[in-house]
Amino acid sequence: MIDRFQYREDREAYSAARVKALEALLIKKGIITDKTVDTVLDFFETKMGPFNGAKIVARAWVDPSFKDRLVTDTPAAIAELNLPEGMAGAEGEHMRAVANSPDVHNLIICTLCSCYPWPVLGLPPYWYKDPTFRSRAAREPRAVLGEFGLPVPEAIEIKVWDSSAQIRWFVIPERPVGTEGMTEAELEALVTPEAMMGVAIAKAA
Amino acid sequence: MKLQHYLGGLEGLGPVSTETRVFVETWETRIFGIHTAMMALSSQLPLPPTPSKFTTVWTWADLRKGAESLNPFDYFKFRYYEKWLGGISGYFIDNGYITAEELDALTEEFYRDPSKPFPAAGDAAIDNRVVQYLVEGDSPKRDTNVSFDFAVGDLVSIKNVPSIEHTRLPGFLRNKSGTVETVYDGAYVYLCDTGTDGIGAAMPVYCIRFEPEDLWPGNTEKNFSLYADLYSHYVEAPAAASAKQAA
Repeated sequence: MIDRFQYREDREAYSAARVKALEALLIKKGIITDKTVDTVLDFFETKMGPFNGAKIVARAWVDPSFKDRLVTDTPAAIAELNLPEGMAGAEGEHMRAVANSPDVHNLIICTLCSCYPWPVLGLPPYWYKDPTFRSRAAREPRAVLGEFGLPVPEAIEIKVWDSSAQIRWFVIPERPVGTEGMTEAELEALVTPEAMMGVAIAKAA
Repeated sequence: MKLQHYLGGLEGLGPVSTETRVFVETWETRIFGIHTAMMALSSQLPLPPTPSKFTTVWTWADLRKGAESLNPFDYFKFRYYEKWLGGISGYFIDNGYITAEELDALTEEFYRDPSKPFPAAGDAAIDNRVVQYLVEGDSPKRDTNVSFDFAVGDLVSIKNVPSIEHTRLPGFLRNKSGTVETVYDGAYVYLCDTGTDGIGAAMPVYCIRFEPEDLWPGNTEKNFSLYADLYSHYVEAPAAASAKQAA
């Protein structure tokens, strides 16, 4: 039996100890500080995350002209909103939004790695990084979306966008029916990272 | 040829993961933070110098090269951040920042005593630069004067360039034909020079539409289209492609 096909029994405990050792050594050698990693993680808790994307989508739902601008010049439209600084920062320097419609469903993938629009969506969930998803979504998106519990009828065109250069993509899902009386803040709560990547749609609670 | 360059369209893989968490183990957050700090402190960025002892270049390209160089079985075997941990540890060892022996020894100590105290040290300028990088980013767009050989609606062919170490051309698009959907404004550099693969210098980027039926004849779904953003070096006129085939 070749080791390649086995995991260590203490797989997670070993990795946990190893990353601690690495971080401690980097601090000791003056490469990073004892606060660097927490600074990064805090940034993704408070500044860059899917809470920004949800605000952008909710605005697009209540303001059709904003939605048009969001599709034609994504960074400029995002800059109109009162979001945290850094909306054109790391992994969001050049973003492009595509809008779902009754006839078209969009799905964002990255077959080569895991390109993801950090400022508006934060960090990619595991499903997006999974080699099986990245392989299959390119050739059989309808089957893949079915596994996410999202049947897309054959009459609806699916557009799959493979992020292979330096542009980062996200989806503007359709506003769910039955949300006419909702405030923008209430609408934000309906927008998930999955809906903004196209493996889900927004639902009215 | 590396399997990792050819993931698109692989068959026989079974169901997808629908795991929506970003991190599935707490330790994964730490390696993500280390990677992001390395990108921010990387020496090619036009950011203020700091007292950090990190003096070399680390970008996405370096992380990706590591993942692309893995044995394909290991690529599928190890979870996303396990690959990062291996690649980043290897980088610090290979570049002489730490030794494998001290990393192994300290790993053993933290393994035996996970609550062993951490060193407390560092200059706040380092962390300020990390935040500055996150806020400002590292735009690959340049105002360089470049020529745009193709316009929206043009039929184009995709080259099969020799990608030895690293590429941004998905394998399943090589030698295929598509239609230009968008000509992006300006020119884009890549994070490193990919050698015979051909990207790095500022060049146009096109979004190109492919018919799945051309990519996987008789073996794909109906009523969908696949789009990919491709650097212009990967794109040529159909005539150039057919001339090469005839030669």
